[in-house]
Amino acid sequence: MAKHYSEQELLHLYEGDQSTLYSGALAHHHDINDPESKAKVRKIWRITLLLAIVTIFEVAVGLWLFKISPDVSKVAVHIGIIFYFVVLTIIKAYYIVKVFMHLGDETRMFGKFVLTPLILIVWLAVVLLTDATFHLGINETFAHTVESILGNHKP
Amino acid sequence: MTQSGTHAKASVWNGGHSPFKVSYGKMMMWFFLLTDALTFSGLLASMGASRFMHDVWPDPNHVFHSVPFFENWNAPLVFVSFMTFVLIVSSVTMVLAVHAGHCNDRKGVIKWMLWTVIGGVVFLACQAWEWTHLNHLGAWWGSHPSLEATPVESFKGYFNFTKPLVEETLANNPEMALSATHEFFNYFFTITGFHGLHVTTGVILNIIVLLNVAFGTYERRGHYEMVEKVGLYWHFVDLVWVFVFTFYYLL
Repeated sequence: MAKHYSEQELLHLYEGDQSTLYSGALAHHHDINDPESKAKVRKIWRITLLLAIVTIFEVAVGLWLFKISPDVSKVAVHIGIIFYFVVLTIIKAYYIVKVFMHLGDETRMFGKFVLTPLILIVWLAVVLLTDATFHLGINETFAHTVESILGNHKP
Repeated sequence: MTQSGTHAKASVWNGGHSPFKVSYGKMMMWFFLLTDALTFSGLLASMGASRFMHDVWPDPNHVFHSVPFFENWNAPLVFVSFMTFVLIVSSVTMVLAVHAGHCNDRKGVIKWMLWTVIGGVVFLACQAWEWTHLNHLGAWWGSHPSLEATPVESFKGYFNFTKPLVEETLANNPEMALSATHEFFNYFFTITGFHGLHVTTGVILNIIVLLNVAFGTYERRGHYEMVEKVGLYWHFVDLVWVFVFTFYYLL
């Protein structure tokens, strides 16, 4: 926060237009062409390159898997493929949120405040997917039971 | 209000400070995005549940393999990678607009926001083409309702026969494959449609803010926080697409 504002003026801003207080309007402005600004722009392009490389890795492996058709009935292979894509996705999401959305520049507490509720998503996914697997199991078992009694004569 | 420097370690919650140092508008945008993230994950997780309830599932490489003007190509992932690329680049131009706003550089904001709007429109055009193309193939909400209406021949091309259980299921239990195809397209149009709605909203908001920038509204206000707020929304749209891309097109 700018030091050239008196406490009284800041208090007035807390009670008035808060966006002026937090938008950087009171902070010392740097010119778009000064080194600090240029460093930030370079960082943005660096992250862009990273996101592009990660996407290329995703697409390349996707095409490669399509070409070689790995045996996904092997659990390790199947889990490995899912793990690979999910991890790369989370890496991309991390950099988009941290750098592009500037959550890395907010206070740590605000970051935690926004991100913690996302644990609910993990819970939701685990519950739904487990339940669906169980459901498939019931259907299969039921179908097999019917078949063993009636033979392959579907009504 | 603030205590003297010797008490700098006092809790930020004791008053006189803003613990989060975020303005009301920006904080509410974050909370809105949080709820929206929960909505999208609800959709994606229920798509996953539906997939787990079927022995087989259409292979995206076999469903989405066309490219505009070269519709007979067998080029899986190519077009959707292009769409992903467009959206990521538009996210980059947006963050550059936000940066220019931090520096009160009006011309920079206008330039980068214009590119962002163009990127959004290109993405929407791509999506419109993809939807139309799939619709011509007979896929839509509620398509593939019964084996009488859509026999196995009409949808077996969506499956990858090198995957386990596909051949057996299509031969012995075509209802399972039919139901999987039906659900696949229901979720596809719902999720990409909901995302496309967000992109459309984002483009409209970007245009409104761009006009305000051009008219000098934010210059008079002294800051470009509104650009930051629509920027957050736009990055979120990109973020959701990253997940849709993985869970619909890659896995």
